[in-house]
Amino acid sequence: MNVGIRNPVAKGFFYLLLLIWAVSVIYPLIWTLLDSLKDNEQFFIHAPWSLPDFPLLWSNFSYVWSKYNFNTYFVNSLVVTVGSTLLGLILSAMTAYVLARYKFRGSNFLYLLYIASMMIPFILALIPLFFLMNSMHLINTKLGLILVYSSSLLAFGIFVLVGFFKSLPKELEESATIDGASHFGTFFRIMLPLSQPGLITVAIINVLNIWNEYVVGTIIVNDPTQYTLPIEIAVMQQEMQYRTEWGPLFAALLVTIVPVLIMYILFQRKIASGITAGAVK
Amino acid sequence: MKSGSSKLQRNIFIASFIIPTFVFYCIFTVYPVIKGLYYSMFDWSGMSQNKEFVGFRNFKDLFHDPIIWKAIGNDYFLVVGKVIGIMVIATFFAVALTRFNFKLAGFLRSVYFIPNILSVVVIGVLWNFIYNPQIGFLNGFLSLFTKEKVSITWLGFTSHTIWMLLPPAIWAGIGFYMILLIAAIQNIPDSLYEASELEGAGQWQQFRKITVPLIWEQMKVSILNIMMTTLNGSFVIVWIMTQGGPDNSTQVMGSYLYQMAFQQYHFGYGASIGVLILVLSLITTVVLQRLLRHETVELG
Repeated sequence: MNVGIRNPVAKGFFYLLLLIWAVSVIYPLIWTLLDSLKDNEQFFIHAPWSLPDFPLLWSNFSYVWSKYNFNTYFVNSLVVTVGSTLLGLILSAMTAYVLARYKFRGSNFLYLLYIASMMIPFILALIPLFFLMNSMHLINTKLGLILVYSSSLLAFGIFVLVGFFKSLPKELEESATIDGASHFGTFFRIMLPLSQPGLITVAIINVLNIWNEYVVGTIIVNDPTQYTLPIEIAVMQQEMQYRTEWGPLFAALLVTIVPVLIMYILFQRKIASGITAGAVK
Repeated sequence: MKSGSSKLQRNIFIASFIIPTFVFYCIFTVYPVIKGLYYSMFDWSGMSQNKEFVGFRNFKDLFHDPIIWKAIGNDYFLVVGKVIGIMVIATFFAVALTRFNFKLAGFLRSVYFIPNILSVVVIGVLWNFIYNPQIGFLNGFLSLFTKEKVSITWLGFTSHTIWMLLPPAIWAGIGFYMILLIAAIQNIPDSLYEASELEGAGQWQQFRKITVPLIWEQMKVSILNIMMTTLNGSFVIVWIMTQGGPDNSTQVMGSYLYQMAFQQYHFGYGASIGVLILVLSLITTVVLQRLLRHETVELG
């Protein structure tokens, strides 16, 4: 039972605060869309919140897509995100399963070693990573990004998946062993399918993180053909000081935002459970 | 004999599942972190020939570098501002959306999380536009009330510009911590609230006597997390919005590290800033844990 707020004035006031915040969150997305349909002149003559003039400049989108090469950046982001999410997921699922189900010397230490990296500021590794990638000839490659990103996903993945595997009933493996399944068979045929909800949760959180990542990207990649979306957005906004193309800039933002927004709408429950699982330390 | 071979099978299985991940992790995470500590002892421009071991000289130089002090100050300004701003607002939202019986609660919860799915780069660009002196929202809004068009360069003051970075940082952080706190509140047994209601306790009393003490652990985790992510990651918002300027006034440790290493090629010096960030975040973690534990005793 929950009585809520009795005082109608207080209730109205709280509601107002909540709605103001909702507007402050949604409105930037709307204005991004509206401003992506304007030309420069409209930015300088009209107020920033004014509606775009007709005809709407949908051409801003085709302009950033082909002239600014967002087709390339979009594909780069896609390849890097999918690649590192899959690799990170496989590597963390394997280790998480063993850490959750097998006791061996050093297993606790190993678990702590992975978890500890969540406490270490990653920025410390930035300079060495640059030189490591350089010596491995992985600078300016999507593979380089994928390797570094998937490694950065391990701690979170292992942490959440160890918890998940531990929550699955032990009888499943025991009966599988009695039926003569090998360790590998048990994992691939029984445990992996059962752990799908956990794997999907981790994968979604990872996709969001990698799609949006900027720092490592800007260190490892400086060849424009290999840029991911956030790297290009940052470059593009710096160029705005010399050539003003506000409409295309907002179109570019939208190209970057829409995929994660769709993912969020589809998977919001998973995302909420993922961050809750990842933060209970 | 049989148990021997099954033990072998077990070990092979464990090894083949543990080792690939571990090797991978060592190469791309453990090694760079350790190497970061190592590089901080060198004077190094990036070429292998002129890498000179200098011991702790980089740290001595850091100590005498006025910019790093400015950067540390800015970092902690952001930590304090974000902890207060995010925790107050996120806690309020979490309570309002779980305990106030609002009809739109589910919808609002989904909406509030949206900034957290955006790249910090996108957030920086959006807020740059709000602050833009000629065509931005803020000046446009203020111009409604003035005769002359307002054209304040919000990100151009040599002092206090760091204040301008606080609203985007808070705006971007709230949804995440609200979700964590909502989960914590939902774990509180309803019976506690019901019992207190019978005793005539109002929302405020329930908040102070039940909610806060029972979600304190989660609040603590959140505060520590805000501190860590700020010291480690405020680089991006600074870099996108001000590049540490004007005149280094919004420099944070991360942006200074980036500038020193990747723009001025003082890689050893940059690495020593990385070590400084590590040390400060560990110290702050310990201090905060002490402070916040004390608080629980008082409340409990």
